[in-house]
Amino acid sequence: MAELMLYTPVRLVSNELTYYLSLLLEVGVYMNGNSFDDAISEIKRKIGKKKVLIEPGDLYAYSLDASTERREAPGAIVRTYADEDVITTLKVADEKRIPVIPRGGGTSLTGASIPVVPKSIVLDLTPMDDIQVNIDDGYAMAEAGATVLQVDQACRNEGFFFPPDPASSRYATIGGALAENAGGLRGAKFGVMKNWVLAMEVVIPGGKKLRIGEPVLKWRWGPDLISLFIGSEGTLGVITRAWLRIYPLPEKVVRIMGVFNKLEDAGRAISEIRRRGYLPMMLELLDKETVDIVEEVLGYKFPKGEAMVIVDVDGPIEAVWRLARQVENVMKENRGKTETSDDPEKMKNLYLARQGAYAAVTRAYPSVLHEDITVPLSKLVDALRELDNLRRKYGLRMPVFGHAGDGNLHPDICFDPSDKAQARKAKEMFKKVGELAVRLGGAVSGEHGIGFVKKEIFLEEIKSVRGENYLELVRKVKRVLDPNGIMNPGKLWF
Amino acid sequence: MELTVIPQIVKFASENTREIGDVLGIGPELRVRWAEGLLDKGPVEDTIFYAGEMYPVMGYAEGAFRLTKRLEGLMNINSLARIGPIMKKLRVYAIGARALWGKNNEIYENALRDAVYVLRNLGVKMSYLFEEEPPSGVALHTYGLLKEFKEHAKWVQNRFRELGVKRVITLDPIVTTAFRLYYPEFLEDWDVEVLHFVEIVAKRIAELGIKLKLGRKEKVTYHDPCYLARTLGIVDETRFILSRIDGLEYLEPPRHGVNTGCSGDGGLELTQPLLARKISLDRVKELRETGAEKVYTSCPACIMMLRTGFNALGYRTDVNDLASLIAEAMRNGIIEEKPATVKFRRYHVLPESPKPKSLDSDDLAELLLRETDRCKKCAFCNVECPVARALDKLESRSARGRMTLINSLVRGDPVRPEAVLDRLYSCVLCAQCSQTCPVGLHVQELIIYGRAYAIYSGKAGV
Repeated sequence: MAELMLYTPVRLVSNELTYYLSLLLEVGVYMNGNSFDDAISEIKRKIGKKKVLIEPGDLYAYSLDASTERREAPGAIVRTYADEDVITTLKVADEKRIPVIPRGGGTSLTGASIPVVPKSIVLDLTPMDDIQVNIDDGYAMAEAGATVLQVDQACRNEGFFFPPDPASSRYATIGGALAENAGGLRGAKFGVMKNWVLAMEVVIPGGKKLRIGEPVLKWRWGPDLISLFIGSEGTLGVITRAWLRIYPLPEKVVRIMGVFNKLEDAGRAISEIRRRGYLPMMLELLDKETVDIVEEVLGYKFPKGEAMVIVDVDGPIEAVWRLARQVENVMKENRGKTETSDDPEKMKNLYLARQGAYAAVTRAYPSVLHEDITVPLSKLVDALRELDNLRRKYGLRMPVFGHAGDGNLHPDICFDPSDKAQARKAKEMFKKVGELAVRLGGAVSGEHGIGFVKKEIFLEEIKSVRGENYLELVRKVKRVLDPNGIMNPGKLWF
Repeated sequence: MELTVIPQIVKFASENTREIGDVLGIGPELRVRWAEGLLDKGPVEDTIFYAGEMYPVMGYAEGAFRLTKRLEGLMNINSLARIGPIMKKLRVYAIGARALWGKNNEIYENALRDAVYVLRNLGVKMSYLFEEEPPSGVALHTYGLLKEFKEHAKWVQNRFRELGVKRVITLDPIVTTAFRLYYPEFLEDWDVEVLHFVEIVAKRIAELGIKLKLGRKEKVTYHDPCYLARTLGIVDETRFILSRIDGLEYLEPPRHGVNTGCSGDGGLELTQPLLARKISLDRVKELRETGAEKVYTSCPACIMMLRTGFNALGYRTDVNDLASLIAEAMRNGIIEEKPATVKFRRYHVLPESPKPKSLDSDDLAELLLRETDRCKKCAFCNVECPVARALDKLESRSARGRMTLINSLVRGDPVRPEAVLDRLYSCVLCAQCSQTCPVGLHVQELIIYGRAYAIYSGKAGV
């Protein structure tokens, strides 16, 4: 029976209770109070009781992440200081069928790092934060708990940098960023986390440590198991360390800001910049609503238009200005008003609207649903127009900004949760935005991940685009690595 | 370990503050010693020099703090707080403290004397209230005993009125913050003007157009106290003063000005001394790496933490008050130059203070729920949280974790109120979190209100 359940795709039900019941059955985790207490005692005995927290005053602090939606408080926190701590926990938890949720900085916007079932262990990997930069061999080794920014800074000390830069990089960890396949502003040129991994160490249920790949610049294994774990949101195993590619620091960066009266003009300029192969390091777009909110809340003043585009180009000192002028010209050809600078202070000002977007939105509205869709670049303007229609239809504010360079948009649906009608509308809108992305040939998440917040809409996307068979295939893979379904239940596909 | 809701030490500190005037209960007799023969009694032109309840006795606190390290493992801080009252009954407390730690106290008493010397030489007229100086009671605010703080503030206001005090000059940035920001929040018609020492000194040095001669070459650095730089926004004045001292090679630490790092005090030195020490070491290493031979600062608690921190790491670097450096240079000689008007910016990096309708637990609950519900859990506050840094990012003792726990406590989640209070007490109140919060939450003040709620709601069994 359990076997059968495991292969049955989650029924997409809006009724929360039925949803949770199906979830509990599906993960095949049985909730046995005694076995949980036994497991915790055993883990304490093996790794030391100071690393295991069971006081509710600690547990509740770990019951939330940046998704801000609490489902369950953890049953215990295990703080890992070495591989052995992870191995022991996963071995015992697998034997006793205790759910395990790996957690880094707890900055997931989709609830990937918090439990949704009772009596689970949250594995806090932040104490493991060693970083070693090896310039000769061209990599940085980082343990799971090191923050993305710490890795970047360690590289910068040597004249290199680590390109992926999620907005949360100051607290987001390498382990979490890999598990979420995080992106960031520099994605336009440098892609996402998965493009920067040479090798990884992963612990899977049962406590087996796997080393995948080699810390050399070229190796071929097939199939590529690194990619299997990246973006798996902790549902297959725990990433404990990674060997990451690094990149020389650009000699110079020039920033160009363009303001366009018509969204279509901005769209054309963006696709033209890409078509001509300028490959900017950053290519951000902000719609009028975003700029308006930043002005209202933070009191800045910006030039008016339907869209603002901010571009960073980098290169050798002799060439970078030529490239900047070319980008500037493309913007002007498309009726954009531009401002360009390589002065650090002025560059900061040109970025102010983008910099303040998150703060302004979260200050002005008590609740925000952060969307994260990706569309084909050719459909960027269509997407923005459709989003504008949605905004009108539902009557809620929804600033749209994001990484236009890779088609990744962040519509932020703002609402007041105490107004029931608004909250309902916001939820509906959230779904519609996801559907829009799928309809345009894109994806419901570009970089934030699925967690439990986007699970429903994600499974709908997969079913409509790929069919149920695809889902079954993925579940079979999961069963090979995690036969008892202990890893991060209720997230992503599972 | 005994787990009373208000840890024994907080009770000890607050009772001492209310009854004796200073946190350790050293008493007014020793508190006024520094000023004997130096200042006249009573206000001059409505103005007093206000020593506060920390500077005059900080050396005793430093001694006690060093002792907790020696006794580590034998007894905890709460048991020390239990010995105090017994010693008091035996009338050996203040005498004992003086015999044991009188030497430690000299540098703090000297700082006060030096401050008076400097101000006088710059033509500032003032006097001192001696035993009649009412303690600010800021420790009550720090530990969340806000009703008691309000009551105390009213009493201070009346005392100042009776004594005819309208203007206060002080060396203590925590007291300045209390008088300038907290008193007006709790009292309707607080109208006493409060100036920090460096504000007056910087202004007068500029007006007189003078430079001071140190008479030797020295590499120095300055540690911005969080209350002075971040909370009050006073940064330009200290840099200006340092630039007017000939012979200094000034070395700026990486975290400075409004972005200063914490030296581990903020009340934590009493509630969690071991954690406080760990935090201070982080800052000590940073200050040492500047290559400075001497560290100056402008806060008695920072001096204590940095002194014990340097000592614990075996460095000989001296930590002293900026007032003592200025006084030393002034004694060496004054160079007359052209007077100038210098504009000192006032930095505003903290969000607006949240205001509860009253201090009743229902009103506190309403405020705390409304504010902590706005928290987006982005963890920007945790990046520089000194406690989180010192505890390998332990979420439940980080800025973000505290917001979550306050919310849980008010909401009625199954958390033990005393456990939440304990976690709220492991905060240095440096306000780095308030400065960073993109949502604009004044995290530091919410933590203080959270402490008050845990105490007054009765949930914690107080």
